[in-house]
Amino acid sequence: MKLSLIRTYSCNIFPIFHKPKTQSLSLCARSRRPICSSSLKPKIPLFLRPSNYSATLSDLKKWHDWAKTLSSSIGSSFFDSDNGPDSSLLFRELNWLIEDSLEDHSLIPQLGIQDNSTNVRLRVDIDELYSLWKQRIEERKPFQYIVGCEHWRDLVLSVEEGVFIPRPETELLIDSVSDVVSNNEELRQGLWVDLGTGSGAIAIGIGRILESRGRVIAIDLNPLAASVAAFNVQRYGLQDVIEVRQGSWFEPLKDIEIEEKLSGVISNPPYIPSDDIPGLQAEVRTHEPRLALDGGLDGMDDLRYLCNRTASLLKPGGFFAFETNGEKQCKFLVDYLENDNAGSFCNLKIVSDFAYPVEVVTEQTIN
Amino acid sequence: MSSFWLKRSRSSSSLLLQNPRTKTRTVESSQFLNFIDSNQNHTVLPSGLSSFLFKALKNSSGSDFNRSKTCFFGSQYQQFFPRNSKGGFSFFGTQAATEPSTADGLTVEGIVANRWTILDESDSDWKSHAAAIAQSIQVIKRRLQWKKLMVRLNLLSVELNKPDLWDDPVHAGRISREHGSLMGKMKEVKAFEQELLEHIDMIKLAREENDTELESESLEALVTMRRISNEKELEALLSGEQDPCPCYIEVQAGAGGTESMDWAAMVMEMYKSWAQRRGYGVTVVDEMPGEMAGIKRATIKVVGEYAFGYAKSEVGVHRLVRISPFDSGKRRHTSFAAVAVIPIMGDGSTRVQINESDLRIERYRAGGPGGQHANTTESAVRIVHIPTGVTATCQNERSQHQNKASAMAVLQSRLDQLEMTRQAQMNAQHTQSLTEISWGNQIRTYVLHPYRMVKDLRTNYEVSDPDSVLEGDLDGFILSYLSASLDKDENIEDHQSAQSQSLIREEEEIPESFMASTITNSTITTATVLREEEIQSLNNSSIQADVSSNEVVEGNPRKWQPFRRRHILDGYSTEAVADVSSGGEDDIRDTNKFLE
Ligand SMILES: C[S@@+](CC[C@H](N)C(=O)[O-])C[C@H]1O[C@@H](n2cnc3c(N)ncnc32)[C@H](O)[C@@H]1O
Repeated sequence: MKLSLIRTYSCNIFPIFHKPKTQSLSLCARSRRPICSSSLKPKIPLFLRPSNYSATLSDLKKWHDWAKTLSSSIGSSFFDSDNGPDSSLLFRELNWLIEDSLEDHSLIPQLGIQDNSTNVRLRVDIDELYSLWKQRIEERKPFQYIVGCEHWRDLVLSVEEGVFIPRPETELLIDSVSDVVSNNEELRQGLWVDLGTGSGAIAIGIGRILESRGRVIAIDLNPLAASVAAFNVQRYGLQDVIEVRQGSWFEPLKDIEIEEKLSGVISNPPYIPSDDIPGLQAEVRTHEPRLALDGGLDGMDDLRYLCNRTASLLKPGGFFAFETNGEKQCKFLVDYLENDNAGSFCNLKIVSDFAYPVEVVTEQTIN
Repeated sequence: MSSFWLKRSRSSSSLLLQNPRTKTRTVESSQFLNFIDSNQNHTVLPSGLSSFLFKALKNSSGSDFNRSKTCFFGSQYQQFFPRNSKGGFSFFGTQAATEPSTADGLTVEGIVANRWTILDESDSDWKSHAAAIAQSIQVIKRRLQWKKLMVRLNLLSVELNKPDLWDDPVHAGRISREHGSLMGKMKEVKAFEQELLEHIDMIKLAREENDTELESESLEALVTMRRISNEKELEALLSGEQDPCPCYIEVQAGAGGTESMDWAAMVMEMYKSWAQRRGYGVTVVDEMPGEMAGIKRATIKVVGEYAFGYAKSEVGVHRLVRISPFDSGKRRHTSFAAVAVIPIMGDGSTRVQINESDLRIERYRAGGPGGQHANTTESAVRIVHIPTGVTATCQNERSQHQNKASAMAVLQSRLDQLEMTRQAQMNAQHTQSLTEISWGNQIRTYVLHPYRMVKDLRTNYEVSDPDSVLEGDLDGFILSYLSASLDKDENIEDHQSAQSQSLIREEEEIPESFMASTITNSTITTATVLREEEIQSLNNSSIQADVSSNEVVEGNPRKWQPFRRRHILDGYSTEAVADVSSGGEDDIRDTNKFLE
């Protein structure tokens, strides 16, 4: 059995695994049970709300000036203390907040003009704007929770407090799926699973790549995440491709006979070592759900579990990719798979999380 | 080093034919005939022939004459070239006409020479209107290379008169088509001049006879003409191939730390307000704020008709002299900001093919571990085109994906422009204009102290109110520069006029091809990509030249250090740099700067 290990320079690394094609299939039929999505109602992101409020441009300018002053008072102090945002980033966020609040973007340039009594239509009350920006600065509430959305790849995903905010690094997981699927029609038409879907980012990214030929099941233990994911799936019109289920890891798949049936398993599971959590950036530590972050003592509890189970669920030639905490966890996982699941996987790759030339470091034969 | 290729689109056709007719009134046929008659004394043919022909054509529908295959009508003012099938006679339009003038001998040139004050359009002073119109006509004539156009018309006329012309029908067709086209342009301008002078006559007449109604009617007509001529003038000024395109405007701070960064921010603000005044859409693509104040550099995208055509006039180094608000000693400081303007070409025009494998893509994150550890809205992307060293950065979009797309768009435009410059240099080695390009060119000085003034060093156009300029009132500078560049073009062409006199040319429409080459040259002259290194060296040199004892220029040997305090978290290490052998020294230096 051959294992090729491909390495690049990277911190956030996805191990990508292919199952050998030679495995035999053992099928046992089980009945499918539909899972109702949660009854929690997701919040509507700011930019999708109706423009029910109005204010004069000069009042808006007053707020803007106040918010700018508040932001510049931060300087680099957040950055120095815990890698938080500095003033220039806050200024940029402030512009985006205005973009999302103001119905008519063409008025934005006029914010510089003094004493403009033109009325503008807003999606949020001006008093609320004051309180939102206070929360951003004083409570370090993540900007994405302030506006209720995150721009991720070419998507705008709804998020809210209690649901993990998708990270730019994870955009690359989708690229790796796109690569495998591009010349493998069988995988494109298969069943994919996004474990710990959060806002549904990965599932939606994959769903769009499959071009409604395959299917995706998106799973999260957090009921709020499941309902936000369902909302996002709906917004992108992917209800027929993506099914959101609430439950722990593979448990919601019990109704489906999935042994050796899955084309792909993709996950960004919690991977931060428990002891690191108190030292995290305030936005993450105090606002994002711990369930989404905490990976146990060495951060690998969930990764190990998912690797174990995935081995038996992937169909021959199937594909899996996980985001990890970096090279250390990746190496560890590869060793783990080589030793404990010897023979189940071939073509183990560690892929850098951005488009750099990939360098083959080692290629070894097991058995 | 890998290469890229591109396809040139066809050059645009000449302005006067291309114009949508926005005129509210047209020259009536009586004026047309009048005009033809007035040419009699210059034509070599028996007088009255032209009007005779006009009538003959009108009345002879269905006749053999009318069906003759070489007879065609052009546009409204175009001359026609009937020839009967038996070759009985041929006729061509006249070349130069007498200078049209008013009853008391005032010509368009005379009006310009009078230097009447040009007031606002709302001021009902006929002299002001007339002066404005006459000025526009002069610009339009310069664009048409009037003198040469006349010479060429003469040559063509002589050729058309040759009895054996139609022995070679292909040649004859070409000659007569070109003649028709030039004639059309010439007549359109002449008719416009004529109309102006007639209105002036009318006004004078109305005054003599105290006919206020006639006077205000004629004045009204002048205002209309003024608007039309204004439009035509602009079209004449902005007839470069890329002029109608949207563009990027980039501003980069020179040496001098906070002081210069503050100046760069002021310059950027000036362009934002200018663009907004013009009704253009403005988006910030990239912005690198300074530590204390201002910006290290920024790129905006300006979308709207002729954005590039206007903005290209701003390329170069802008210098500020003022008492620094950052200097507690209240000393006078000189700061510099460099401006680059890049056209965004539409699909289907000149585009460089970019190879994915020639790109190095870097992303930025705040320092420390990323992924689940960090929540940041920062998702800057920088793309390096390895073969050329051209880079593009974008950080103002809200996702990495979008930043990458934006950066790619900037990169594309930069490479397009670079390639165009290269081509223009190849095509035009024999002309002067390109050797004149030097990035050491300071184009404008803004003085806030000890006196107040903004002066363009290329045109000597000067304004005593810097505030209005910094608030975006730039059109005066831009138009005077564009108009001055037109003169430059004409001079270049004058040098070459010997060549252009040869009658046999490949092109069917000579004026178009003339213009295409001229336009390309002038566009390139004013709008080449400013590469980082060039700006840097430029700043060094201009600073040195400018240090005087009572002016402080804060020295800072490392001027551009984008992303200071930010680290590339992933995917980029020295190994990766070493990999990029084709990038060479520049790349490594660049990267180190970036990593800092
Ligand atoms: C780091 S977040 C990733 C979210 C999303 N996939 C993304 O990349 O933006 C991890 C997610 O796993 C979910 N999760 C944690 N434990 C889980 C479990 N036992 N079963 C299912 N989901 C779980 C969390 O609720 C959280 O949404």
